[in-house]
Amino acid sequence: MSSDLIVGMAGAGGDGIVSAGEAMMTAAALEGYSALLTKSFGPQIRGGESSCRVRVATQPVLSAGGTLDIAVALNWDDFLKFGSELGVDGRTTVIYEAASGVAPGELPLAGVVPREAIPVEVARLAKETAGTDRAKNSVVLGLLAAWLGMPEAAFLAGIRKRFGKKGEEVLQGNLAAFDAGFRHAAERPLREPRRLATPGKAGPPKLVVDGNEMCAAAALFAGCEFFGGYPITPSSEIMQFFAREVWKHGGSMLQAEDEIAGIGAVVGASFAGKKAMTATSGPGMSLKTEMLGLATIAELPLVCVNVQRGGPSTGMPTKSEQSDLLQACFSAHGDVVRPVLAPISVADTFGITVEAFNVAEHYQTPVILLSDQEIGQRKETVDAIDTSAFPVLERQRPTGAELDGYERFRATDSGISPISHPGLPGGNYLASGIEHNELGSPTASGEVHARMNEKRLRKLEPLKRRRDLFLEEGDPKAALGVVAWGSVAGVAREAVRLARREGIDVKLLVPKLLFPVAEEVYAQFFKSVEAGLVVEQSHQGQLYRVLRMFAEVPRGVQPLARSGSVPILAATIVERLRGQVLALQSRLVPEGEPAG
Amino acid sequence: MASAAIQAYQAKDYKSELKPIWCPGCGDFGVVQAIYRALAAVGRPPHEIAFVSGIGCSSRIPGYTTAYGFNSVHGRALPIAQGIKLASPELLVLVAGGDGDGFSIGGGHVAHAVRRNVDLTYIVMDNQIYGLTKGQLSPTSPRGLRTASSAWGSLEDPVNPLLYVLGYGASFVAQGTPADMSGLAALIEEAIRFPGFAFVNVQSPCVTYGQEEQSLKAHKSAMRPLASLGHDPGDRLRAMALAAEYGKALYTGVFYRNPEPPPTYEAEAKARQQQARPLAPVRRDILEMFRAQ
Repeated sequence: MSSDLIVGMAGAGGDGIVSAGEAMMTAAALEGYSALLTKSFGPQIRGGESSCRVRVATQPVLSAGGTLDIAVALNWDDFLKFGSELGVDGRTTVIYEAASGVAPGELPLAGVVPREAIPVEVARLAKETAGTDRAKNSVVLGLLAAWLGMPEAAFLAGIRKRFGKKGEEVLQGNLAAFDAGFRHAAERPLREPRRLATPGKAGPPKLVVDGNEMCAAAALFAGCEFFGGYPITPSSEIMQFFAREVWKHGGSMLQAEDEIAGIGAVVGASFAGKKAMTATSGPGMSLKTEMLGLATIAELPLVCVNVQRGGPSTGMPTKSEQSDLLQACFSAHGDVVRPVLAPISVADTFGITVEAFNVAEHYQTPVILLSDQEIGQRKETVDAIDTSAFPVLERQRPTGAELDGYERFRATDSGISPISHPGLPGGNYLASGIEHNELGSPTASGEVHARMNEKRLRKLEPLKRRRDLFLEEGDPKAALGVVAWGSVAGVAREAVRLARREGIDVKLLVPKLLFPVAEEVYAQFFKSVEAGLVVEQSHQGQLYRVLRMFAEVPRGVQPLARSGSVPILAATIVERLRGQVLALQSRLVPEGEPAG
Repeated sequence: MASAAIQAYQAKDYKSELKPIWCPGCGDFGVVQAIYRALAAVGRPPHEIAFVSGIGCSSRIPGYTTAYGFNSVHGRALPIAQGIKLASPELLVLVAGGDGDGFSIGGGHVAHAVRRNVDLTYIVMDNQIYGLTKGQLSPTSPRGLRTASSAWGSLEDPVNPLLYVLGYGASFVAQGTPADMSGLAALIEEAIRFPGFAFVNVQSPCVTYGQEEQSLKAHKSAMRPLASLGHDPGDRLRAMALAAEYGKALYTGVFYRNPEPPPTYEAEAKARQQQARPLAPVRRDILEMFRAQ
């Protein structure tokens, strides 16, 4: 019995590999499992190779995991194109299309003898039952349901959800194909069984959702009434969600002519008094940067989501990377601090998105929400979220007394000045990108400029004390400390748990507030730390560099930084930690890289 | 048009206390006066007006009014104005800027503002020069013009704002000059009242870096009101033929007014909201749509 299994599947476009993965997610969610689905495609717009990985477990799944437990190859050429994304080793059970003519002992997997290799005539079973080999994916689901011992009914529900819309004939064909796969597997038990344990308690069905849709839904929950954006991979699903849903809530949206106009319309909507959001990815962020400066000086709230991908430029649009952190923190012109928040999972995207709106509205500032392709486009089963536990803040509006001789940028102790909006009598003012005095009148005075800079920076200081925007795990007194953020935080959490299980005394700090840097939080975390890692998916180690700028990072803490696309594995982190333990024991702590 | 006697607001109600930075004799003084008059004629209270501009001499203009103003960044007034209008369709939204703002750095936005047909009034103060940055070529500078950035004369043909906007399919296109203040005020008022995107190109001379033939005095004798030519503003092709003479003839008045204005984006959005509202989940249950079943 396994409590945690990773299934990876690949085939040609049209084989419905991703549909199979999604049906499996539905099945897992109905049965109370935790599951996580990632998809990967070839570069072709249509019909190229496609793959997915589904990790199913009885306990919460923190990352997509590493090597596959079960590999499904509908076609070896397509399977092999995914390389390490579908890593196979001696522990993997390989199921493949028998029509490939490959003998079980001669799989095209260099250097690997898998645990078991099972050819199945998937296409023939599909044709015989559904009348078309397009139902191969349902045959595969039948095989998996039987061999994993997952309840048939849940899979059937998943198939109905996926294929119900395609008409009765297609649905019946797929149900028959599933049945054929199920019977085939039931009659031929695995030599080395792969049964999945049942989850302890089956509560109500879980949610199945990806990070982009979670982000958009959270924005609507937070009261976002306007979205402006431009299509860009891997963030477009956020705009598409608004296009479907925003009207129901009385809001509006715009697919703009470019990235600049998208955020421009958001700046306008915010000026008009409404909560507003835009979403993009790296190159789009570059284009939006001038508007972020405008929103900062005009003190207009807005949320700008960056679903990071491999960069620079077009880079690797469908692959995840954490290489826009320096851009998020420092790409502003002028003396600017822009809050940067990052979710660590699909589930976490809900609260962090609501928080992004709260910070934007409360402090009257643009907020950058740094998601990444991994979180944005992966699907997770999510336990019910009690939305009432997430307070929603509104911007401070001027009172009647404050509207008498209204000063839009009035000097206050907090630096936050009540903000009016067109339509409000007595609140009339001039918003501007030009420096202005308390009334909003343009100025060329150096004294006023310095005063306003001080106000705009001072108002954000309390953010640095938001310990609730950090996650801390492990032994608080540990000499080993790991810092990780974004989607990699899940991998690091898993790694820290694995390491602790093997007796390594290590703790973890996950910042969800990346900027401004909460110096005190890091100081306290690093107090006991002699060695450790800053784990991130960027070649330079961007978080490591930011921390070196603002915090006292112990010399023994090193970056574990990798370019995107190839995921960082928990095993890699554990291995590095083992090395650090040995070094600590012999007091040979390697020195950190110089900050550059 | 309402008579002055029954107007709820006077032109002076829209004038702010800020002193313009413009050079004495600048055409923009006349434009802002015409805007005060047009707003008084329309009669919306200043707090129900959002006035958006980009960057440039003329883009200072919202600050000289008592409306909610937004002096934004170079070239981006139109996207910001659309966001305002879509967020709060009940507002009167004016947009203003120069020829550089609208047809150079912000040129890409005009076509989309037109085709989206958000109900905005877009006033371009066209002076064929960059004044704020001290006299460089603008997108409407004539070929051969010597400026700070074209010491040997411009090597480029100018854009034709009127023809561009007509070509994009705008439903209201007009041109005026502060040399004819009441005519300009009437044009701006008509543009504001027009339901949908309305464009008014104003030949607003630059007294410091401009050409002599573009002075207000020169305009007075050169301007040819379209009405006096018997032009039918419902005739789009004729309007385009007249607009093609931009740079040669100074026509003033309405080139084109669509007799059957198409629906605005915000009106269609409102209809969609009404259609979709019954499907709205209770906000606290918004995640239920993701529940597996």
